[in-house]
Order: sequence, then C-alpha cells, then structure tokens
Amino acid sequence: MPEFLDDFLFTYQTLIYALGVNGLLALSMYVVLALGQLSLGQAAFMGLGAYVSALLTVKLGLPFPLVLLAAMLAPALAALCVGAPTLRLSGVYLALATIGLGEVQRIFFINSELTGGALGLSGIPTKGGLISIYGSLALALIAFAFVARSKIGRAMEAMREDELAAGALGVDLPAYKLGALVVSAMLAGLAGALNAHVSSFISPNDYGFDAAVTILSFALLGGIGSPFGPVLGAFILTLLPEVLRPLADYKTVVNGSIIVLAVIFMPRGLLAWRMGRAGAATGRPK
Amino acid sequence: MITRRFALAAASLAAMVYAGAAAAQTPVTIGAIEILTGPNNKYGVAIKNGFDLALEEVNKAGGVLGAPLAIAYEDSAGNKDQALNAARQLIGGKKVPLILGPTLSNEMFAVGPIAVERKIPIVGTSTTANGITAIGPYVFRTSLPESDVVPVTLRTAKEKLGVKKVAVMYGNDDAFTKSGYDVMKAAIEKLGLETVTTETFGGKDTDFSAQLTKIKSLNPDAIVVSALVEAGAGILLAKKALGIPDSVRVIGGNGLNSPQVPLVAREAADGTLVGSPWFIDKPDAANQKFVADYKAKYNMDPDQFAAQAYDTLFIVAQAIKDAGAPNAEKIRDALGKVKHNGVMGPFSFTPDRDPADTSGVVVIEMKGGKFQILK
Repeated sequence: MPEFLDDFLFTYQTLIYALGVNGLLALSMYVVLALGQLSLGQAAFMGLGAYVSALLTVKLGLPFPLVLLAAMLAPALAALCVGAPTLRLSGVYLALATIGLGEVQRIFFINSELTGGALGLSGIPTKGGLISIYGSLALALIAFAFVARSKIGRAMEAMREDELAAGALGVDLPAYKLGALVVSAMLAGLAGALNAHVSSFISPNDYGFDAAVTILSFALLGGIGSPFGPVLGAFILTLLPEVLRPLADYKTVVNGSIIVLAVIFMPRGLLAWRMGRAGAATGRPK
Repeated sequence: MITRRFALAAASLAAMVYAGAAAAQTPVTIGAIEILTGPNNKYGVAIKNGFDLALEEVNKAGGVLGAPLAIAYEDSAGNKDQALNAARQLIGGKKVPLILGPTLSNEMFAVGPIAVERKIPIVGTSTTANGITAIGPYVFRTSLPESDVVPVTLRTAKEKLGVKKVAVMYGNDDAFTKSGYDVMKAAIEKLGLETVTTETFGGKDTDFSAQLTKIKSLNPDAIVVSALVEAGAGILLAKKALGIPDSVRVIGGNGLNSPQVPLVAREAADGTLVGSPWFIDKPDAANQKFVADYKAKYNMDPDQFAAQAYDTLFIVAQAIKDAGAPNAEKIRDALGKVKHNGVMGPFSFTPDRDPADTSGVVVIEMKGGKFQILK
C-alpha cells in the first residue's frame, strides 16, 4: 500500500469505521420509526451486543463470525422478552420505558464484576474492519430497500400514518411491532459488536441516554421516508464534528446551528423522498 | 557570460542559505490531546496553560535541536471517539514524534493502544488510574497514580486527626473515580480503619442527600470521597446543608484537589483534606517563580494539573534534546533516562514508565477557600 494512502487510512480509520457503524445504528432506528414507534432502546441493544461479543472474544476466544451472530441473537432475545409488555405502550410512554431499560442495563454493567464495572473492558482485539462493517451496512440497506418496496413496506407505512386504520385493514399490528423491534435489536447488537472490535475499549457510559438520543437524531435528520435517509443523517452527524475541527472553540456552536437549521427548514428530513412501490400504479394507462 | 553565471551561482547560493535557515527555523512539533471544550475543560485548559508557559521558557532558552518547540493541540471534548480521532490526526496527519495527554484515564485507555501500535511515545500528565502504563511500552505518565497519594492522605488523617471510623462515597460510573475508590478501599483496610458504609453516586448527579443522610446517622469520623470537581463540590454543599458537623472531614482523592472546589462549594469546602503531588505554597524558588509567572500570564492561580503539565513539558523537551533527533523511538528511549528537578520535586521514570519519586506528596486542607499544608 502506498505510504500516503496508508497514512490517510490510519488518520481517518476511526472516522471511517464510525460512519459505517453509525449507519447501521441509524437503520436500527429506522425500522421502529418506520412503524411510527418511538423506541429509544437502540443504545442499550448496541451495548448488549458490544458486551456479549467482547466477552465472547476476550474470555472464550470464539471465532469472529460466531461472535457477531451471538451479538445479534442476544439483543434479539432481549427484545422478544421486553417487547411483549412494552409494545402495549405507544408514543412517549414507549420512549420512556425503553430509556428506563437502557438505564437499568447501564447500571448493571457499572456494578457487575464480569463486565469490568465503570472501568469497562479494554484490550479487545481488532477483528472488525472495512469489509465486515461496510458489508453489513450494504446488506442491511439492500434488504431494507426490498422490504420497503414490498407488501410489508406498505403495511409499515400504513401503520406509521394511522395505526387504527391499518389495523382495521387487517395489518397484524403486534406481530409487525415485535418483528420490527427484534430486527432493530439485531442491527444495533451487530453495530455494537463491530464497534467493540475496532475500538479496543468499551465502557458502560458509551451506551447511555446520550447515545440513544444521538441515534434518534441520525434518523430524524436524514428523514425516514426511505432507509437511505437515516444512513445519510448518520454520515452527516458523524462527519460534522471532524470536518469542523479547524473551527476549534466554535465547533460545537456551528455544529448545533447546522442541525437546528436543518430541522427547522427540512422537518421531514434531508432526504424526504419516498421509496417507490413494487407493483404500484404509475399513472400510465394499463 | 561570466557575470551571468556568477549571478546564477549567487542566486542559487542565496536560495540554499535561505532554505537552510528555514529548515533550522521549522519548529519541532509535538502533539497534545486535551479537553478544551465541554464540562471537564477546566482540567484541559489548566494543562494547556501549564504547557504553554513552559513552552515559552523552553523556546526562550533556545528551543530544542536548534529549532523552536511547538505544540499542536487537539480537543477531545472528553469524548473517547474524538480523542481517538485526534490521536490519529496527530500521528498519521501531522506526524508528531510524541503526544502529550489525553486528559482523562478513560481517554488514555482508548488512545494508548493506537500510540503503541504506531510506536509513538504518549505522556499522560493527569491520568492517575491504575493500569495506564500497562497499556504498552510507549505509554508514560508524569502524574503520580492515586495509589501513591491516597495512602499518604489517609495515614496522615489517622495520625494527625485521630480518624478511626470512615464512610466512603465514590462515583461508580467513571474509571477515574472508581479506581480512586479501589485505592482508598485498599488503603483503609491496610490502616485498619473501620468503614461504616460505602455509598455510590453518578458523576452527573446533583442530589446527594440520600447518601449523606444515611452517613450522618452512622456518625463517622470522616467521609472519604472519590469524585471529580462537580460532584465533589455538590457533596460538600449537601454535607453542610444536612448539618453534618465540620469536625467530620471530607477526605478526597485527586479529583477534589482543585482550586475550583471552593469556587463552587464556598465555605462548605473548608476542612477538605487531600493529598497532592504539588502545592501552590511550596517555598522552593522554582515553584515560586512558576506560580508568579503563571499568575502574571493567566491572571489566576495555577493548580496541580498546570504544575504537572509545566514540569512534563521540560521533561519532554529534555528527552528530545537527549534523543538528538525528533524521532519517536529515540525520544522514547531518552524519556526513560530523563532526570528533572521541577516544581513538583525530583522526577524520573521507573522502568514501568511511572513516576519514581513520591517524596513530593503533601497533605493539604482547605481553609477559607484556600488550600494550606495540614499542621
């Protein structure tokens, strides 16, 4: 590899990896928002995936693909357990309940000896990389693009616009909600595992309320009309602090102003464009 | 012809001389990652002030290797990922041969492995948690770890104030305050003190009345606290508000050793006891000069973070001079051998890259908004 490219990759490695991981997190938020559910448990699922994967790698030395699988299954299982009672809630109540769950998990991590308490887990070997991160992101995006164009996508949009009407039209609301939460948990867990295996150190506070709100803002800034919006939002919000680094002290001010302006002038997100539907009438005579 | 050739030769000679002069003036740039924005920036700014003050003196005395020394600062905002990005910028982009910082132990746990991977020496001036230098052979620190300071504080409290029963409070969600607690617990056991209760809080908590009400009912001789400035000042205020008598001292770790504490807690801070590797009223000439220069330049009192940074920059500059070239590997080898007599007392590194000398530790108490040596 030429030296300048090597240096470039080294300099921006954390950023390049963070873009991919945050893209996955934005998609995990998109799945639930696309149904009109406001769940803030993504950071907790990410933390669960990160800790499970890190412990499996450090303590048991399992192969990386197996670790990733476990990092997706553990949050999925957790989502199934908490999904049944919490999905009876809606709107801000669901948001509150999921914030609570995240806090419970954070405090567990802080107090548990196994997870290293507040000191976190350090010395996690680097196993993830460009291929695993961007491969996962591409696969997830393609899968969502197909789903959004299908019958399932239409049912999801119907639920987002009017849950009652969607239910009356025969959409199986509980099944869709639980399904979305499980998929969301799996994606967040995967993102957590990938992040843990490129940053070598994780601690409980990485997955707290701040992280939950950051993930939500990815999706809101990008717009939830299509799966591409949240990923774009994640890319922008991840890049901004680094691009603005030369501004030094004014960085946070400019960063905040850009977000506020975007939200005021583009309330439906930067990418308000909606996915076309497979088999939808195009206006042309048949 | 001759004149033209001569002119050409003269011009190229002039160009060479000019280039040579420019090369000599190209500063030797080292990197620094500190918290310059956000809630913990008081530490980072004090450290930056300390570096800058020492940098002026180093450059006034001729710099290093015939060129001025310069510091490229990067802000971490106390955030692990930003600290990582900053380190990668400094190593991969600016190609610095050495990094100072980062500010917090948590950040060092993230950044340290990167520096080790690229074989760049990294020198923490404020990272006091356990296990910092164990990250790898390029990680140094000039700050005395809590495990060297806290036992001295507690032993002094036992001997001079007759403390026997203590209550312990610590922030359990931060690596610094948690590892401070681990050290306190070990020291308490070693000194044979009785612990009546151990209470925890979160670093962003503002209400400590539940823990302190319980502590009040148990009547300890002192409250041992591992906290950063904000939470620590909050505890002092709540302790006063709940009417816990002033004779019950708060014994703190490094986090409470800051002139910021009385600014927030005011008279509630009186009686606070901490151990410190440095103290503003240390009478030696080097320290008096440092304090006077710092006050003149920044119009405020230096704290230990500034003092540690001030000494560290001289140590690093010496290492670069000894290395003979701005080369990471040579600087690392030279760092291990540096002996420096600074404002904190005699300094050298142990083979494990920790400070070797603990003779500078003094136990100080807060009185009327100022620390003074405990009599």
